[in-house]
Amino acid sequence: MKIRVTIIFFLSTFLFTVKAQDHLSIQFDYADNLFNSKQYYDAITEYKRLQFFDSTKIFNYEINYKIGECYKAGSKYDDAVQYFSLAEMNARTDDESYDSKTQIIRTNILRRTTDRALQLCDELEKDQRYSGKSDQINYWRGWALILADNWEAAAKSFAKINSNHELKKLAEQTEKAKVSVTFAKVISYILPGSGAIYSGKFLSGLMSLGWNLLSGYWTVNSFMEDRVFDGVVVAELVWLRFYRGAIQNAEEFAIEKNLEVSNKSLRYLQNEYKGIKP
Amino acid sequence: MILKTKIAYRFLITVLLFIVPLTTHNCQLSANNQNFFSPHNRLQFGNYLYKDKDYLRAADEFKVYLKSVYNDTIVFRLANSYFKIGRYTEAADNFKGLFFGSQLSEEARLLLYESIFFQNDYKSLRENDKGKIYYSSKYANEIERLRFISYFFDNSAPPDENALLKNFPDSVQSQLINFYQQKKYPQHKSPTTAAILSTLIPGAGKIYIGEIGDGITSLIATALTTYLAITNFNADHQFRGWLFSGLAAFFYAGNIYGAAASAQIYNARIQFNFDKEVKLFFEQRNYFLPKVDY
Amino acid sequence: MKRFKVEKALSICIYLFLFSSTYNLNAQTDWVKWEGKETFYELPATHHHDYTVDKSSFGMTLLSVMRDTYYFFISDLDGDNCPFEPSCSAFFLQSVKETSIFKGTLMFADRFTRDLNFFKGMNHYPLLSSNKFFDPAYNYTLYSKKIKFYFGRDIEN
Repeated sequence: MKIRVTIIFFLSTFLFTVKAQDHLSIQFDYADNLFNSKQYYDAITEYKRLQFFDSTKIFNYEINYKIGECYKAGSKYDDAVQYFSLAEMNARTDDESYDSKTQIIRTNILRRTTDRALQLCDELEKDQRYSGKSDQINYWRGWALILADNWEAAAKSFAKINSNHELKKLAEQTEKAKVSVTFAKVISYILPGSGAIYSGKFLSGLMSLGWNLLSGYWTVNSFMEDRVFDGVVVAELVWLRFYRGAIQNAEEFAIEKNLEVSNKSLRYLQNEYKGIKP
Repeated sequence: MILKTKIAYRFLITVLLFIVPLTTHNCQLSANNQNFFSPHNRLQFGNYLYKDKDYLRAADEFKVYLKSVYNDTIVFRLANSYFKIGRYTEAADNFKGLFFGSQLSEEARLLLYESIFFQNDYKSLRENDKGKIYYSSKYANEIERLRFISYFFDNSAPPDENALLKNFPDSVQSQLINFYQQKKYPQHKSPTTAAILSTLIPGAGKIYIGEIGDGITSLIATALTTYLAITNFNADHQFRGWLFSGLAAFFYAGNIYGAAASAQIYNARIQFNFDKEVKLFFEQRNYFLPKVDY
Repeated sequence: MKRFKVEKALSICIYLFLFSSTYNLNAQTDWVKWEGKETFYELPATHHHDYTVDKSSFGMTLLSVMRDTYYFFISDLDGDNCPFEPSCSAFFLQSVKETSIFKGTLMFADRFTRDLNFFKGMNHYPLLSSNKFFDPAYNYTLYSKKIKFYFGRDIEN
C-alpha cells in the first residue's frame, strides 16, 4: 500500500519535472539540427540564445563546446579555441575537460600553430588524470607533426601507439620517398645540373649542364685568344649566372619534389584516410 | 483499518488526478513564457547581442521584433547595428524612419549624415547640408563640421580657409592649417619638367624627382653604351657599334619616359600619404562627432 | 596537490584575461554571415613561371610564345635573379598589354634601368613576403588614375 502511494507520488513529480526541462532541450536540439545541417552561423545564434535564457547554466559546457565546433567548421580557429577554452572552464567531469583540451589541440593543428599543439600535448601527458589516454595524445601529436611536414618525428609518435600503426607506415614511407636537399646542392656545386637530375628534372639538369659547358668554353676560348674583356664579360654575365642558377635550381627542385611527396600523403589523409582527423 | 487505508488511497489518487493536470497546465504556461522566439524574448536577446557588439545577429532579432511591435529605440538600435558593421545604405534607410514623430529624430538625422559620409558620398553630403535637407537643429554644427571635413577627402576645391577653420577647436587649428595648405598647394613635381631634364642630361629628370640612384644609373648606362658604340665604330666593328648604339638609344628613351612616369608616381604618392595622414587624424578624433547610442 | 590548485587557478585567470580581452573578437568575426569551410591539408606549392599563352590578339600570342621560349631556354635555368615582382619579362608583356608595343618597350627600358640600380632598395617599392619589390606595370602607363599604392612597405590585403 505504502509502496503504491510512493510510486504514484514519484510518477506525478516526474511528469512535472519532464515538462519543465523541455523548452531548453528543445532549443538545444534545434541548434543541434542547424549544426548537423551545416548552417553553422545560425547554429551559433541558437546556441547563444539558449545560453542567454539558460539561467541555471546547466547547458554551459555543451553550448560552448558546440559553438567552438561551429567556428572550427568555418575555419575560424581563433574563435574556436576561445570557445573550447570556455567549455573547458565549464567542464563538470574530467572527460569533458579532456574533450575540450583535445579540441583545442586539434584546432591548433588545423591552424598550423604546431608548437602550441605540441605544448598542449605535453601538458596533457603530464596530467595524472589522463594517464590512460597516452595513445590518443600521441595520435594528435603525430598529426601535429604531419601537418608541420615533420614526417620522421610523426612516425615515432605513432610508433608509441602501435608499431604497425597505419599512420606510422605512411609517415615512414613519406620520409623515405623524399630527397636530400643538401646532397642536391652539393653535387650541383661539383657538376652543375646533377642536382636537378637527382631530383628527377632530367631535361632541366641536362640543359643547365649544357649552358655551363658552352659558357665555360666561350670564357676559356676568349682568354686563350687574349680577349680578356670579352672573357670577363662572358664569365660574369653568362657562366656565373648559369652556374648559380644550377645550384639554385637543384635546391628548388629538391624542395619541390619533397613538397610533392608530402602533398601526396596529405591528400591521402584528407580524402581517403578513415580514421579520426583533426 | 483497511477501510481507512483504502479511503486515504482513493483520496490521494483523486487529489493527484486534479493536481497533475493543473501543474502540467502551469508548466505549459511557463513553457509558453519561455518561448524564446516571442517578441519580448527576441528583444531581450537582441539587446544582449547588441551590448556584446554582435551587431548582425542583433539586427536580425530587432528586425523580427519590429514586425510585431514598433519601438523607436529599437529602430535606432537596428539602424545603428547596420552602421557599426558598415552597411551604411541600410543604416541610412532605417535612420530615415525616425525623422518624424520620434524623440530620437535629431540623433537619427546626425547618424544619417554620418552614414552618407562613411559611404564616401561627399557630394550628396554637401548638397544635403547646403539644402538643409534632413536638417538637425541640435547637431547642425557637427553636420557642418562633417561637411568641411569632406573637402579633405575628395578632389573638390576646398572652401575659404577661415570659413573652414572656424568650425574646429583651437587645439587642432595648426594641424588643420597644415592639411589645408597641403591640399591647396601640393608639392607636386612636373612630369614635363622631368622629361625635359632627362632629355638634356640622362638621369637628370629622376634626380629632380629625388630618385638619385635611378638617375645616376640612367646616366651611367646611357653614357657607357654610347661610349662603347663610338669606340666600336671607330675600331670598325660595325655589328658591335650598332648593337651598343641600339642599347644607348634604348636606355636614353627609357630614361625620358621613366622620368615622366616617376614624376606621376611621386605626385600620386604625395596624395596617398596625405589621404592616409588626414584619415588617421580625423579617425583619432572620431571626426569631431559626439558618441550617440541608445 | 597545492601546486595543481595554483596551476588551475592560474590557467583560469589566463582564460578570463583572454576572454575579457578578446570577447569582441568573435563578435567582429560575425559581422558578416559566413559558411562552413573545409581546411585543406596540402602545403602551398612553390612559385613557378606562368607559361599561359595570351590569345587576346595575334601580337600578344606571339609575345607570349617568345616569352615562354625565353623562360624555357634561359630564365628557368639561370636562377631567380630579378628582385622585382613581376619579373622583367612578365613586366614587358604586361606593359605591352596595358598600352602598346612602342610604349611597352619604353616602360620596359625604364624598368631595366631601375633594375640595374644597385641601391633600388632605398626607393619606395613595397616589399612582398617573398622579399621581392612589388613593381606592377599599371603604375607606369602615364595614366595617374591607374596608379595604386600600398601602406608602408608591405602589400595591403
